[in-house]
Amino acid sequence: MARIACFVEKYNFSDPKEARALENFRRVANARGHVFDFMFREAISEIPKYDAVFIRATTDPLFTAYVVSKTAWELGLKVIDDPESIQICGNKIHLYDLFNKHDVPHIPTVFLNKDEMHHKRFLEIFEDLGKPVVVKAPYTSFSRYVEKVACETSFRDVAKRYFRKSDVLAVQSFMPTAFDWRVGVLNRQVLYVCKYMMPKGRWKHGCKRRGKPTFVWGRTFSLNRENAPLGLKNVALRACDVIGHGLYGVDIKEVNGRYVVVEVNDNPSIYSGYEDYRNKDLYGKIIDYLAD
Amino acid sequence: MLVVSNIDLTTDLPKMKPSAFLKSSVKGFTLNLDTDYRYLKTGYYVSVHAEVLGNQVIPSTESIIDASRTPILLLKASKAGIPTLPYLMTGSVKQITTQFAFPVVVFAVNPFSYEGYRIASNRSSLYRAVKSLSMNYKFAVCVQPLRGEMLSFKSIFGKCDYAGEVARISERVYETFEIPMCKLHVQTCELKAYLCGLQPLRAEEVFATDLEIVSTEIFRLSKKGEHLVG
Repeated sequence: MARIACFVEKYNFSDPKEARALENFRRVANARGHVFDFMFREAISEIPKYDAVFIRATTDPLFTAYVVSKTAWELGLKVIDDPESIQICGNKIHLYDLFNKHDVPHIPTVFLNKDEMHHKRFLEIFEDLGKPVVVKAPYTSFSRYVEKVACETSFRDVAKRYFRKSDVLAVQSFMPTAFDWRVGVLNRQVLYVCKYMMPKGRWKHGCKRRGKPTFVWGRTFSLNRENAPLGLKNVALRACDVIGHGLYGVDIKEVNGRYVVVEVNDNPSIYSGYEDYRNKDLYGKIIDYLAD
Repeated sequence: MLVVSNIDLTTDLPKMKPSAFLKSSVKGFTLNLDTDYRYLKTGYYVSVHAEVLGNQVIPSTESIIDASRTPILLLKASKAGIPTLPYLMTGSVKQITTQFAFPVVVFAVNPFSYEGYRIASNRSSLYRAVKSLSMNYKFAVCVQPLRGEMLSFKSIFGKCDYAGEVARISERVYETFEIPMCKLHVQTCELKAYLCGLQPLRAEEVFATDLEIVSTEIFRLSKKGEHLVG
């Protein structure tokens, strides 16, 4: 029997689909004879009482979730997401630098430093990547801090905004597709495969409604992982190989029959009725990995 | 050994500006010398790039992140035998008052703020400190009891202007985290000293005397670097 702590924040229960998925984790863990407790920020000092920590709150090296992950790691507990994965996946510059080194097929990307905000560099980028380009802040998640720019003026505006927090940004080719593949990987094995559709007329899975603060999300279609293309699964596993053995959600675009990685995310979304729809065993596989 | 820095240094060793290094693929032992190693700043990206290239680098990205998050700093420091005080990481004032008596020292657990810590000696000042350092309760804070006096000083390659226990802490923190330039917060109480926190230096806080220490240490490290690179 293992004692598993699931680190969550209040917002993890605001969407009923996510709340149901968390409840599924608890049910499956209990059925296997494990203790599964939700741990909030106030109970961090109780980490040593557990054997494993499963982080569901949003991760970033700046957030409390990283401190939880690192503390558990230092105490020798099993952790999803481990601190190294948070460090790499939480910073897209680190991620793409590793992809370049290990030749992982990914969207053509260049880095823009804070001291390169000049006309010549912008022209070079447009020449290399074409127009428009996608400007990505390293700390992007849930489709936020990613913007499309087609001229130098808007490029400067977006870059200036993102440079407030980070000294380096990623700039990528614009590759519009009807959907992005999302491959869930755990310990170098494919866990689930989904299609994240783009909302009508949009280029991102999640985007802001014009003039409104609300977000609109595209639909999610789940596939049985055995039926997903082999090439897709191989590219996803190759991308995860350069990061670690944890739980990842790999975003992949299919362009002219080729699979190119958009990014690898730690702490991938798991919503009841979406990611688990055709792969119900994902809860059990994650719990078994934590309890092992 | 390669020195990557924006600081004006007098050294015969190969030196590169961070912007040039980030575009290069130079191999070898890398000394990343900066005053500000905060996450997402140039100092951090230099270490990321060096690690991706497979270079041994000082400081490592792991150390940069861990040293700037007070609870992890204290956990790793106590594991390394550096004296620390009990701490609590939380966002709840009620929990702090239940666990510690006033006065307490409150540290931000976010690497945005330069201003280190606040001392709270009553409930209302604790509310103000927590609200401010947690950026309106977005982040948690790290609280430690205040048993003596707080001391803040520059640590350049583990060297500082103090002697005894405080100097020992400065050296041990450098041995553990290898952050070449930083500011340390230490609590002194009845001839004993305890590590409380670490924060980046501002460029204007580095003087000519500090640069002399830096030059000596670079020379010493270059010998070690030759050995490491082989």
